[in-house]
Amino acid sequence: MRGLIRANSGTDVTEKTAGRVGVLVEAGARALAWLGGAILLALAAMTVLSILGRALDGFGLSALRGDYEMVANGCALAVFFFLPWCQLKRGHVTVDILTDRFPPRVQALFGLMGDLLITLASIVILRQLWFGFGEKFPYGSDGLRAVLGMGYKPFYPETTYELQIPVWTLYATALVGAAMMVLVGLYTVGRAVRWVRDGQEGTP
Amino acid sequence: MTGLPLALTAFGLMLSGVFLRVPIALAMGLTGFFGTWYVIGTPAGPMAQMKTLTYETFSNQGLAIIPLFLLMGQVATRTGMSAALFRAASDWLGHKRGGIAMAAVGACAGFGAICGSSLATASTMGQVALPEMRKRGYSDALSTGVLAAGGTLGILIPPSIILVLYAILAEQNIVKMFTAALLPGLLAAIGYMITVAIYVRLRPEAGPVGPRKPWSERWSTLIATWPVFAIFGLTIGGIIGDWNWSKPGDQALFTPNEAAAFGAVATTLYGFFGGKLNLSGLLESFLETAKATAMIFFILLGAEVFKGFLALTRAPDQLAGWVLEQGLAPMLVLTAMLLCYLVFGCVMESLSMILLTVPIFLPVIEALDFGMSAEQTAIWFGILALIVVEVGLITPPVGMNLFILNGVAPDIRIGRTYAGVAPFILSDLLRVALLVNFPAITLWLVSMIG
Repeated sequence: MRGLIRANSGTDVTEKTAGRVGVLVEAGARALAWLGGAILLALAAMTVLSILGRALDGFGLSALRGDYEMVANGCALAVFFFLPWCQLKRGHVTVDILTDRFPPRVQALFGLMGDLLITLASIVILRQLWFGFGEKFPYGSDGLRAVLGMGYKPFYPETTYELQIPVWTLYATALVGAAMMVLVGLYTVGRAVRWVRDGQEGTP
Repeated sequence: MTGLPLALTAFGLMLSGVFLRVPIALAMGLTGFFGTWYVIGTPAGPMAQMKTLTYETFSNQGLAIIPLFLLMGQVATRTGMSAALFRAASDWLGHKRGGIAMAAVGACAGFGAICGSSLATASTMGQVALPEMRKRGYSDALSTGVLAAGGTLGILIPPSIILVLYAILAEQNIVKMFTAALLPGLLAAIGYMITVAIYVRLRPEAGPVGPRKPWSERWSTLIATWPVFAIFGLTIGGIIGDWNWSKPGDQALFTPNEAAAFGAVATTLYGFFGGKLNLSGLLESFLETAKATAMIFFILLGAEVFKGFLALTRAPDQLAGWVLEQGLAPMLVLTAMLLCYLVFGCVMESLSMILLTVPIFLPVIEALDFGMSAEQTAIWFGILALIVVEVGLITPPVGMNLFILNGVAPDIRIGRTYAGVAPFILSDLLRVALLVNFPAITLWLVSMIG
């Protein structure tokens, strides 16, 4: 009960800021997830066109070049765009059978631990992905690269096999999702702290 | 500490994390990360690996099928296909005692043929069939029990997300895995229908008889389900059937990824032209796909890190060697493993269980002599593991399908659902015994496609 009353008071300044940030974070994560879904559907449509082209090869048509490559890389990017939404909605699987027996506040504490660990993992993923990006990105002066921690400059831009897409562009796009995941992670940690303080978890 | 003891300790630590509500993906990833650090003595190795591991895991060619099939299933839940299937099945079976419950099984099987997820099947069919069964006076226990069990057909009947993952882990051909799952899936649906028939014979009040529908109406509602048959026939049929008899050998219409892409497009188009799907429904299914996909891929990433550590310890080989030394009967070892899945399935989530155990169990199974080729053994074991893991979805206390039905009808006490699902669990166990003793049921169709 106490949790409900506190959550409804609404005069608290931090509560208000959290609410506004929450709306922004949710909108951002949702937009990214929609984009990921649109990418998936577009890839599917492209594949169907490619199949049609292959089936009609007698009429001078053919399968789209590199369709396989596009599907694999497009799906990877979609997954990166999906991750923030999943974390925001607490979509990652947990086993609650033991912790369900604890009082609500202790449950919230375990939830906080999960959010904290996910956020730490997202920071590691983002950081290492950035280094990975640096190793694929063959531009920039040595000084600037050193400041940004991009490691040794490769001699040439690595590309995908068939379409010759520079791999660094794929990594750069993936970084958007990974960065959003860290932002969402930080927000969920704050949210979990408020839930512990209220003594009860709200709806994600 | 090295080898098997180290792997066992890591396993124990990981499981205790899981039971303290650490997300399963993280428990696997962290254990793998720190384990690798412990074995090679520096965090630099696993850190350097992380530079490319995330992107490379997510862009694995064989995994692209998962988000596409998930999208197809999510869109399908919003196209009215589930209602059409249930309507047809209940028109054909409703006049029999317990007929609507049998119809629910049939509709679940049909929906499972276009949806690769048990949870989506249970929730969609639950929303369609549960109100109808209650209106016709079916008992709460039978109605929720049959739908929870029917939901597992979603993943048993291809397409199946877990089979895709198993195929990748076990380095097996996904087309052969799907083919192998067809007959056991059909057997499951028949077994559930027989279970309903026995149930209503023992408790006639649980499944009252409905009016007999005229044949013209039966045929017209059956014909209305054509999109399901067309989409299943073209996607799953397209990858395992022979579509060009003029050329020697099997000529499939699609590769698995292409079939999933085709299925997603066809389902979406049908949804729009059938008038059931609009833009907001599509965006809604994007969000559901996002959640399910990210959840699965995050677990995959964690499992990838954990698998690397496990390989470093060489524990799987050591375990296989140890089991061989004991000279245990192969069937005994297999039974022990299946029991292990059943017990853990009561509390663990099915996907992570497969990802965690297959790298350990499969080398042992492959080292034992079951009188089949290595490929046949791997396919057979995969289907058996899939089924026993799925039983975990309907066993209390943590049966996700039971919770989903409870969410659809919160006024039915969960205890009634537990009681109602018990006979179906029995049917599952009988089926497993059958498949263990007659591998041919699983492998016959596979041998047909060569």
